Amino acid sequence: MGVREEGKQATRQRVLAAARDLFEEIGFEDATIRMIARRAGVSVGSVFTTFAGKSEILSYVMNDRLEGMYAELDRVVPHLRGHAVDRLRSIMAVHYSIEMRRQRLFVAYVSASFSWNAEQTVIPLGQNVRFKTMLADALIEGMARGEVREGVNVDMFVEVLLAAYIWNYRLVSHEGADVARLIDLMDRQIGILFEGVATR
Amino acid sequence: MSPAVRLTASGMKKTMKHSPIRAVAMAPQPITRRALAKQLTRTKLLQAAREMFAERGYEAATVRDIAAAAGLSTGAVFASFADKADLFSEVIVAEYEFIYSSMAAATDEAAPARETLLNLLTMAYEAYLAQIRLVQAALGFCWMRDLLSEKRHMEAVDLVRNHLAGVLQRGVESGELSRSLDAKLTSEMLWETYLSNYRGVIFEGWGRDALRARMASQLDVLISERKLAA
Repeated sequence: MGVREEGKQATRQRVLAAARDLFEEIGFEDATIRMIARRAGVSVGSVFTTFAGKSEILSYVMNDRLEGMYAELDRVVPHLRGHAVDRLRSIMAVHYSIEMRRQRLFVAYVSASFSWNAEQTVIPLGQNVRFKTMLADALIEGMARGEVREGVNVDMFVEVLLAAYIWNYRLVSHEGADVARLIDLMDRQIGILFEGVATR
Repeated sequence: MSPAVRLTASGMKKTMKHSPIRAVAMAPQPITRRALAKQLTRTKLLQAAREMFAERGYEAATVRDIAAAAGLSTGAVFASFADKADLFSEVIVAEYEFIYSSMAAATDEAAPARETLLNLLTMAYEAYLAQIRLVQAALGFCWMRDLLSEKRHMEAVDLVRNHLAGVLQRGVESGELSRSLDAKLTSEMLWETYLSNYRGVIFEGWGRDALRARMASQLDVLISERKLAA
């Protein structure tokens, strides 16, 4: 890596870290590129040579968080015990507890993601393959162990589950729901979905 | 004028064609000349705002342009609405009230629940596919409202969700669906799934048929055959 390239990478990391903290502290709407640049200690111009705008910065901040999150999940998930329904509940609970550490940031991400353009290279919300695969695997393992009946439409199950997972965050922005309430609601929603797929 | 919205679906008992803003504007009010004038201004502004948001999205639509499109001053906007967010909130509330009244009119209480739900949600997709920017703006906006307008918004959403819950409940009573079905929570999940599918429209260009097929599979998951009382 050349000196120039290294400098560019350093700027990029500083901007992303500054933006992440600002979005959480004062909210995505109120944070400006100027404020992000000031906190990162770089010029406004150099922010714009690296990123197209505030939404793009947000999407990269959120992509970067995935590494840490999945490192944590990869450690936890293999040790989950119990029926498929409980393992799915645990996976969702871990997601909520991690994302709720920066809840304002996450809600801003959900909100902004509806206006992103299709060409953008970032992972759209709900299309995270690792998350989807993790949920699908839990269901398929349940099938292998006779807890989930054969012939279940795994992709559709995961889709409906993810829709509930994401929209539950609205309770955070509007009713101040805490992580325990989200997990409780998700437990009940997974219960509903399992009524349809569990073997009896 | 606001673009005419038409909710139709094959096999529905009735179809509706009117503008959502007008439907709300016609709500009963004590009729004095002053109240009438105020109501008229409000209706004009909501129609202009709806059109502007649908065309440009939330961020790019300005209060000044909305006022101009309605043939009113910027000051007239602030006499009726607190700010742009309030104006957009009211546009969205009117849309939910419209969806609800259209669904209520199109619901055949004797028809099977699963089929009714699929028809009602398809009907809603049909109405909004041509106005996807409005949907996109509303879905992004609904995460950042203040608590007061959120309460109004959720009451309007609940009109729709409760209607869907009612369809599920009748399915339980007729023996089509299992007694153990939680109609309220299931209707909420159904609505969230309905909304999430707009991502497919925005990012992957799904059309009416793709949405209907998707919704049919999702309904199978939510009200699966294990729940159908045999």
